[in-house]
Amino acid sequence: MSENRYRLHPVSAIINFVKGLRELIIPFVIIFVANGFNLSFNPKEEGFWADIVPLLIFSGVSVIYLFSGIIKWWTFVYWFEDNELRVTYGLFVKKKRFIPFDRIQSLNYKEGIFHRLFSLVQVTVETAGSTDGKPEAILTAITKEAANTIEYETRKVKQTVDQNSGKLTEEGNEKPHNNLIHKMSAKDLVLLATTSNSVGVVLAGVAAVLTQLSELIPYEWVFEEVSSFFKYGVAIVAVTIFAAFFLAWLVSVLITFINYYDFTVVEEEERLIVTRGLLEKKRITIPLNRIQAIKFVENPLRQLFGYTTVVVESASGGFGKNDKQITLFPLISKKEVYKPLQQLLPQFEWDVTLIRPPKKAKPFFYRVDFLWLMPIIIICSYFFFPLGILSFLLVVPVILIRFWQYKSTGFAIRGHQLTLVYRVISRITFIVEKNRIQAMESKQSVFQKRRNIASIQVTVMSGMAGTSARASNLNEHDTETIMRWLEKSSLE
Amino acid sequence: MRKQLMYQIPRKGLTVWRLYGVFKTLFVVLLVAVCIFLTVFFDWPVLIEFIAVVIGIIAGVTSIWLFPKIRWEHWRYEVREHEIEIQSGLFIVTTTLIPMVRVQHVDTSQGPILKKYDLANISISTAATTHIIPMLITSDADNLRARISELARVAEDDV
Repeated sequence: MSENRYRLHPVSAIINFVKGLRELIIPFVIIFVANGFNLSFNPKEEGFWADIVPLLIFSGVSVIYLFSGIIKWWTFVYWFEDNELRVTYGLFVKKKRFIPFDRIQSLNYKEGIFHRLFSLVQVTVETAGSTDGKPEAILTAITKEAANTIEYETRKVKQTVDQNSGKLTEEGNEKPHNNLIHKMSAKDLVLLATTSNSVGVVLAGVAAVLTQLSELIPYEWVFEEVSSFFKYGVAIVAVTIFAAFFLAWLVSVLITFINYYDFTVVEEEERLIVTRGLLEKKRITIPLNRIQAIKFVENPLRQLFGYTTVVVESASGGFGKNDKQITLFPLISKKEVYKPLQQLLPQFEWDVTLIRPPKKAKPFFYRVDFLWLMPIIIICSYFFFPLGILSFLLVVPVILIRFWQYKSTGFAIRGHQLTLVYRVISRITFIVEKNRIQAMESKQSVFQKRRNIASIQVTVMSGMAGTSARASNLNEHDTETIMRWLEKSSLE
Repeated sequence: MRKQLMYQIPRKGLTVWRLYGVFKTLFVVLLVAVCIFLTVFFDWPVLIEFIAVVIGIIAGVTSIWLFPKIRWEHWRYEVREHEIEIQSGLFIVTTTLIPMVRVQHVDTSQGPILKKYDLANISISTAATTHIIPMLITSDADNLRARISELARVAEDDV
């Protein structure tokens, strides 16, 4: 056979090894901390064996990881044959995987630090079948030229298929034209970091670490310091708190820059290509026809400033389970969002007037909460008598947020398109086409029935489990309209 | 007002649900018995004994008599040419609409108890969800399964 068989780059052995080690870090740290940092290496000391056995196990496991990494690299071979990408690997159990080029939905690239040192790339091959979160094949490290070859081969086959089926491919030339949809500037990234909840997350993380290390912190000393510190007055306290927030903000900006640096969305031949990352570069490809639904997520802060996040629910996952939602625009002003979307997905109507839940539905948004609020308040008031009564104040934020949910909820039908708007804490606008809806549910409790109110929920495919959107406590009449709208799809 | 769906779960289904309720109650009764034993053994207040018995009785009445009855009354289904509609629920009634085009496969399953009563469950899977029509007479379930898979095959995506 004339086909060349290719190997992965040897670095992939190291990458596999490091990946394995990364899983070991957490148990290792736990045991290390549990031992109180004092490992004894003296066999005569008491507790020597108790300390050394875990260490031995860890080093044993790391050696196994090292060998399995090497073996995986050694046995991994891929080549092109019969318009297929063929992969085999495994030492004892040989696995062979043949992926026809025209079934390949997307090639996703990822460049970690190791990759970038040797100008390599990790390629993840995805087909329509790989909905369980696992890609069809992962080529851990290959040179960029090799990646281009795969992409070139794939495209070549797809084009010949197109020509065979009578469709004229618009361009015969090799370089497909692409147009830039969106690019994030540094200013956008700072804004993204500021309005994200990661500032809070960082603060919480610091607090968590502090409580974990509580044994190491001499609290009595700290208390003395703090009490003398308060004597200096409110100004210094304020400055310190401000400094803490500023630090948290800096960290969150840093994290955002590492993740989202050079965030670019490009459209190329009915596919979306999203690139991002500072240290670890990622490139995700989504065929436009695999998009199941579009989601606008506005957290309260972003809503206040007129910004939104746009997320795409795709049938094929990005990189494993965590990335099944692909962020299209991490942060974009609501004024500017419609233009690129219009260009990308012209079949949708973006800005629609919503039909709201009726006034009589308002109590249904917060009534349920009394079920769990009442017992909490009663218990708190009873056991912590004078102060516990203050738990009554819990009612206020809960009712406010429910009221806000009532204000946000709504739906709209435009031809084949359904828009549902609801709020958890962020407002979510869910836009889906009729032919992407897997199932629709209308829910009605006894109390809702009495007042002719019902809730609606739609499920679309996204990764393995699917994802749903809802609009609660609409007029029963309206939910019936939505149900009938879905029924009609086939009767027309 | 939307029309009530046409088909109900057979009467035997209710019996099986009651049977499941009996099993659940037996488990609760066991816990209550342990509780009574401990109360007597350690001289705990009689109130605990009393509460345990009341909880046991409530569990029995609801899971054998009340809940199966309500659930049975709510369960309805209809398989039409272009969609499947299922209504279910205890306190919250859920009506599920599945377009026939989206159906990927249909299974029937039958455990030992269902087999004894000649009943079977049908589960309908789409790419993202699974829906169940429980407690159908086995022959009906088989027919329905065949019919759904037939309809799902001819259903065309015209959108």
